Amino acid sequence: MSVTKLAYYPGCPSDATAMEQDMSTKAVFEKLGVELVEVEDWNCCGAAEVEDPELVYALNARNLAIAEKEGLDIVTPCSICYYNLERSNIALKADDELRAKVKGIDSALDYNGKIKAKHVLDVFVNDIGLEELSSKMSKKLNLKVAPYYGCYIGRPPETAFDDPDDPDSMDKLIELMGGEIVPFSQMKTLCCGGPLMMTRSDIAFEMAMKILDTAKSAGADCIALACPLCGMMLDCKQADIEKALHVEIDMPVVYITQLLGLALGIDANELGLNKNAVDTKDILGKVV
Amino acid sequence: MIKTWELDPNFKEEIMNERGGEHLTACFQCSTCTLGCPIIDYVPSYNPRKIIQMSLLGMRKEVLSNPDLWVCLICQTCTARCPQDVRISDLLGAIRRIADKEAEAGNIKIDSSRPIFDKAFQHQLAKYGRLYDMGLAKEYYPKREGSFFKGMMAMMNDYKDFGMRMFKKGKMGPKAMFPEKVKDLAVMKKIFEEMGEK
Repeated sequence: MSVTKLAYYPGCPSDATAMEQDMSTKAVFEKLGVELVEVEDWNCCGAAEVEDPELVYALNARNLAIAEKEGLDIVTPCSICYYNLERSNIALKADDELRAKVKGIDSALDYNGKIKAKHVLDVFVNDIGLEELSSKMSKKLNLKVAPYYGCYIGRPPETAFDDPDDPDSMDKLIELMGGEIVPFSQMKTLCCGGPLMMTRSDIAFEMAMKILDTAKSAGADCIALACPLCGMMLDCKQADIEKALHVEIDMPVVYITQLLGLALGIDANELGLNKNAVDTKDILGKVV
Repeated sequence: MIKTWELDPNFKEEIMNERGGEHLTACFQCSTCTLGCPIIDYVPSYNPRKIIQMSLLGMRKEVLSNPDLWVCLICQTCTARCPQDVRISDLLGAIRRIADKEAEAGNIKIDSSRPIFDKAFQHQLAKYGRLYDMGLAKEYYPKREGSFFKGMMAMMNDYKDFGMRMFKKGKMGPKAMFPEKVKDLAVMKKIFEEMGEK
């Protein structure tokens, strides 16, 4: 395994709604012997709300420059942070004029294009590799899992690290842990509705409901995902969706880092499995 | 019916000069973007192909005041599937930014709360460098509802169950009342002054 040390970009939900994603990411990398160094004084990536690409590039030039000084590639557990960091990286690398303009704002934005930003899932499957992960697993997950990828893992093409129509990195990881993948291919990459949650919650709830309902009909024990906005919609908001649409779902939703942590034999509380909004006890009973 | 004398022949250049709008003229109207879009199940009028064609024709006012611009999820499905690399997701972002400037100048009215939300979000970043949920909600709801009182009521309605649920899981405590700030706030201020919406 070539990865031993990475810069860690937690993202804004890491100390709030997606606490368990942050906890499990740190615990898993520690167990894998990869040191994470938090990007010192990191700032928000711009999320989906900063629409001006140049503003996104400027915001992330600072984050990238901080990691570059350490000589480390960045890893983040959030799909949106990943997209913003890596598209900024690509744009800044390719465009000298843009880099000069951004650097002109402040010397803290002086980024030279020497590193990469990566999503945790990409690091697990493609950098560390399934063989290495398998050798460290001590538990088997007797779970039926609906793998939900959302938007920024297979799209857009410049930053994607998996197939846009039928991504399988999470599937492979889940099968490696002993899990069974339920029929879910039509939902895998459908948007959760998150970007409309605050302005058109009627649409956002219906979209999330479709994903939750498909997982339930397919007999899944849980949905696995890799983005805190998807986590917000499908887990944190699940009870609100049930109430608004008069349905009962009760579908546990966990981060892929939490599942991997369980397979690696890490304690459930250390992985924040007591912090997911929908109770995860039934899942824990199936880890042997 | 299109009134040819009302068309703005410069509109396509205006879009193409915005970052993200550069590939507008590559569109050959195949409609892959529209047919694959997850929003059309909920908003049947939503049609990015049509927005592009109207933009190419110069129907500036109709395009900029179309409320459907603001239901785009930025999910990148259209961008990933477009055979002409129009980068529709970025293109719609460019059109939204022009629409927002026109609304700020009082030339059009936008029938969506999304610009209010996006701005409130950006204000948190400019002030703190990170997202401050409470600050965002306190700015967004009153502006959306048109009064402080109505805004607080709407916020309570959306958050009472959710807040309690998060509190019980230890995700929303007294700490969430205060913003998490980056240390180098001076640089955040500079970024928004130089690059932010004026």
